[in-house]
Amino acid sequence: MSFIVVEDISKVYRENGAPSGVPVLSNVSVEISEGEFVALMGPSGSGKSTLLTIVGAMNHPSDGRVLVDGIDVYALPDERRADFRAEYLGFVFQQHHLMPYLSAVENTMLPLATSRRGTKEKRDRAMSVLEKVGLAGKARRLPNQLSGGEQGRLAIARAIINEPPLLLADEPTGTLDTRTGNEVMEVFLDLNRQGQTVFMVTHNPDNAQLAHRTIHIRDGSLVGDSMPQGDSVTGHTEAVSVLIEKIESLPV
Amino acid sequence: MRISTIAFANLKRRKGKALFLIVGIAIGIGTVVALLSLSGSIKEEIGSQLDRFGANIVVVPQSNSLSLDYGGVSVSGVSFDVHQLTNEDANRILDIPYRNRLSFISPKLLSAVEVEGRQVLLAGVDFDSELKLKRWWHISGQSPEGEQDVLVGYEVARALSIIEPAAGSTPQAVFHGGSHQPSEDQSQFKVMRNRLQIAEHEHHIAGVINQTGSPDDRMIFGNLGHVQSLVNKPDQVSLIEVSALCKDCPIDDIVGQISERLPHAKVSAIQQSVRARTETVERLTRFSAVVSAVVLAIGALMIFTTMMGSVVERTKEIGVLRAIGFRKVHIVKGLMIEVTAVSFAGGIVGWAVGLLASWAALPYFSETGVALEVHLSLVVFAIAAALSIGILSSAYPAIRASRLDPSEAVRYV
Repeated sequence: MSFIVVEDISKVYRENGAPSGVPVLSNVSVEISEGEFVALMGPSGSGKSTLLTIVGAMNHPSDGRVLVDGIDVYALPDERRADFRAEYLGFVFQQHHLMPYLSAVENTMLPLATSRRGTKEKRDRAMSVLEKVGLAGKARRLPNQLSGGEQGRLAIARAIINEPPLLLADEPTGTLDTRTGNEVMEVFLDLNRQGQTVFMVTHNPDNAQLAHRTIHIRDGSLVGDSMPQGDSVTGHTEAVSVLIEKIESLPV
Repeated sequence: MRISTIAFANLKRRKGKALFLIVGIAIGIGTVVALLSLSGSIKEEIGSQLDRFGANIVVVPQSNSLSLDYGGVSVSGVSFDVHQLTNEDANRILDIPYRNRLSFISPKLLSAVEVEGRQVLLAGVDFDSELKLKRWWHISGQSPEGEQDVLVGYEVARALSIIEPAAGSTPQAVFHGGSHQPSEDQSQFKVMRNRLQIAEHEHHIAGVINQTGSPDDRMIFGNLGHVQSLVNKPDQVSLIEVSALCKDCPIDDIVGQISERLPHAKVSAIQQSVRARTETVERLTRFSAVVSAVVLAIGALMIFTTMMGSVVERTKEIGVLRAIGFRKVHIVKGLMIEVTAVSFAGGIVGWAVGLLASWAALPYFSETGVALEVHLSLVVFAIAAALSIGILSSAYPAIRASRLDPSEAVRYV
């Protein structure tokens, strides 16, 4: 059984309380298996981010349903859905949306703020996640004291601190230059290698190349679902090698 | 990391806004605290001043006969000597348990006498207590000192041609009842003579009482002892006026205690006077309450506006928190922690500022230099009021924030 099942989803945004009439998504169905790295591509306004937020349990579809690990996400009451987001999902935003007044370690701990765990336990966990993304040495810095790539990695650290089974990313390298974008992508790939399911919206074909699958969307409808050439469903060795080569060739 | 960590970090980040809110709340609470302290102290002062301003209990002899009227109170024994009161009765009043609540006791003997061919009501009084009791008297002339000195009421003086309209008259020395402070004469008459024949005895007119609009205008006031011998009623008095310090005191109990001491007398409270005093104090309280309510409403509106602005400003942040799994209640809790901290600080600062302001302002409002009363309950009130307006006026913005659609909130930024 698929880990994520998007079943016949449609979405029409409302304007002034009434449906706007233009569907952003029309009868979209997708299935994603556990451990998969799926890229979602499409032109601006095609409905990519809307589909991502619907899968992310924060945007109620007009029609259809979303099952994550067998849970009908939108059948849950609002507050339970918030708990679901905390437990099942990690979200990496395009602008990272870090809290500018919290240090790196505090930003990482943010999803744990509502949990009853002790402060030391939260901090230890945050430090181990920062270690994982290579930011342990900058734990006390504020976001504006970090580079764009570091901010991206910090956003990933925040998204994975709860060890969610599903990591959602909305153009995580969209505001970064190639090098820092590659740094961030490396973290995603690394996590995916460890079994993390990743569903990522991207405009960048190079980044999409690194995924197991690329889903194409246009005008609210799926128009393609393909695997990069030469890749198998379970591996991306060649693509990772290309990326590592690119990173290593950059001047330090 | 707890929700409170985020709330306090947020306050630290927006120091200016937090300070603005604290100052706003402090001004509101400070104004209310100042008003309450000032009105409390002024109420005390007005209460004690009013208690000294005129009588509120009248003691007259028990009588079934018809009587003359004095100030709306029937006065027995002017014509009929029935159960006459004596000087001793006035002293007995001082024996009641509530004697410390009595400010003045003023015995009077009233008698109709012939003055230069006219019947006039002559009152024998103890000038010391009478002048303290009737602080509203403006006397053109001097304070009576000798046995034969009398004060003449305005209408009597006019009828007996003691005074004349004051076209281009020279100012007279004026004494106010009680204070005896000379001041500029506001009267429009001139005293023409200082001698007067009362019951065939010559008397010295110490002064003329300016028009009061009361029965005093139609009377002559002389020394009690002298009048008693003049009308041949030694040791007798017609009525005793008593001024009780009646702010929050049970006037009925005082009346009861005097009645017990003087069973042959009729003791009655001048309810109108008591009610007037109570009403004056209550009006002051009501005024303070209305001004306080307006100030607090303005404060609440300010917090509401600031919090609404803050929610709009933090739409993205709230959306992110919702997206990473914060429940609505967590969002409300975070905002409420901020508001509570700010309101608490505003309440404390407001209390301190209010007390300081009322301490500085009291001399301008008080005539007698009454001391500022500092009640511990006021600090509790200040904090409670600050927290209440802070929390109430932030409730809607906080709930609105918690209802933000996370995907919309994040998308808009």
